[in-house]
Amino acid sequence: MNFSIMFDENKCRGCTNCMKRCPTQAIRLIDGKAFINTAKCIHCGECIKICPYNAYTPESIEWYNEMHDSPKKYKIAIPTTSLYGQFPRGTDICKVQNSILKLGFDFVYDASWAADLVAKAIKLKIDKEKTVRPYIATYCPAAVRLIKYRYPSLMDNLILIREPMEIAGILSRERARQKFNLKDEDIQVFYISPCPAKLLAVTNPIGDYKPSVDWVIPLNKIYGELYREVIREDNLTCSYPSLSGMKWAVAGGQSEHAELKNYLAVHGMENIIQILEEIENGKLSDIDYVEASACVNGCVGGTFNVVNPFIATSNINYISNSLEDECINPDIDRFDEMYESGFFNYKLKEEERTGKLNLKEAVERHERIKEICDMLPGLDCGSCGAPTCLAHAEDVYNNESEFYDCVVLRVKK
Amino acid sequence: MTDRLLKRYSYNVTANDFMSAGKGSSAIKSNLKSLGIDSNIIRKIAIISYETEINIVIHSFGGKLHCDIYENKIVIISEDTGPGITDVDMAMKEGFSTATDSVRELGFGAGMGLPNIKKYSDQLEINTSSTGTTIIVTIYL
Repeated sequence: MNFSIMFDENKCRGCTNCMKRCPTQAIRLIDGKAFINTAKCIHCGECIKICPYNAYTPESIEWYNEMHDSPKKYKIAIPTTSLYGQFPRGTDICKVQNSILKLGFDFVYDASWAADLVAKAIKLKIDKEKTVRPYIATYCPAAVRLIKYRYPSLMDNLILIREPMEIAGILSRERARQKFNLKDEDIQVFYISPCPAKLLAVTNPIGDYKPSVDWVIPLNKIYGELYREVIREDNLTCSYPSLSGMKWAVAGGQSEHAELKNYLAVHGMENIIQILEEIENGKLSDIDYVEASACVNGCVGGTFNVVNPFIATSNINYISNSLEDECINPDIDRFDEMYESGFFNYKLKEEERTGKLNLKEAVERHERIKEICDMLPGLDCGSCGAPTCLAHAEDVYNNESEFYDCVVLRVKK
Repeated sequence: MTDRLLKRYSYNVTANDFMSAGKGSSAIKSNLKSLGIDSNIIRKIAIISYETEINIVIHSFGGKLHCDIYENKIVIISEDTGPGITDVDMAMKEGFSTATDSVRELGFGAGMGLPNIKKYSDQLEINTSSTGTTIIVTIYL
């Protein structure tokens, strides 16, 4: 399992919606069917959201088999913070974690507990290290991939503090090993995810570490079963998320939780692109922290959620405004010790460098592509199978497409 | 033959047109990206070309922004007609600005333009007179 977006060719009508929506131009139509170039895909899920024929399914059933049939002794679930926004008003959210156990897990480590730790680490790093401004959050894997492919000079601005999912994985594994005398191989960690991008963070992290999470479960795939357990009339023991940690599900929640005063929360693909352009132009260096999420409203906008992102935001705010924080965070007392030992830090994975650039050849290539592009009608209609005329010109130059795939020119010919 | 001009990209910049301000520099940025130039160099050039473009918009009667590509360097040239810079030394100081209040209300004119250009350039040449200003900024690859 390393690619999270499944595609059903029979459902695809070649309408070009996904191709035009894709922020990295990773999609082409080949013989009238969409095709994702996995090397360029940042797993943001925009294609899943926009496809009118549901040709894309964010589904992989491998996690299901693993969850139910794998011989591993100990199964840990880490629910995303956005899960708490998915239930109707008045639902006893303190029953959520124990309901997850009833689905067949041995232990639940809430992502919000890990967020408590990460928020403190972010605050300390921002207060201590003042040379990089703004720091950019690394908790939306799609936003981070967008930076990697389109704004590589901003990689130095990424705040390299491990994400809550990862921290939750490490700490819950550690607990299981110590408490039940288990080996690491006997333990499996499942993350209940709001979006397909989290899978990428698990299979191909930007950091130089082995991820602690093994499987990603799409939230919507277990929601039904889970909800039935949550509303069942029985005496499940209460277990609370951290209410401030839960707010990571909503754009701006990280910064609030870390008690930052000078931050910018931006969400939605087009919006984060605009802000990243600004930072690249040398602007926004008077801001400490930029929280960028690819989905509208933050993680509650991820494609695996069941509730509209605005309703989920309202739900989360309602819970945090109306409940007392009764969370007993299992690891918060160890924070100082963890921070001192460098537990939260990591380095970026070394990427292979491309060969030395021959600028003369690059200019010639660029000119040739421009010549081809100038002959095209400039309608960006997508009928040729590329998202824009310029993209088609590049494909033609790279021998990946025929010039006369352009429908407009073919009619004129 | 490293000093041979490979390509010049040129853009017109209109005075006081804050809606279009930044279009030239963002076109330069996207051209350099598709050429495959190192991202840290692009970032410097993005800052330099954006600041020079904004300077033309704020302070001149209009002009042109050029980006010249050589095998070993990139040169950003801004040429404008206008009143020129009265005191170049003052203009190089951080926070010094002659921008009007109405320009500042738009969020420009913080007095960081030329200081930033200098900070990110390898070479900076300013030729100014009462009829216009030419700024030549070189970044070596």
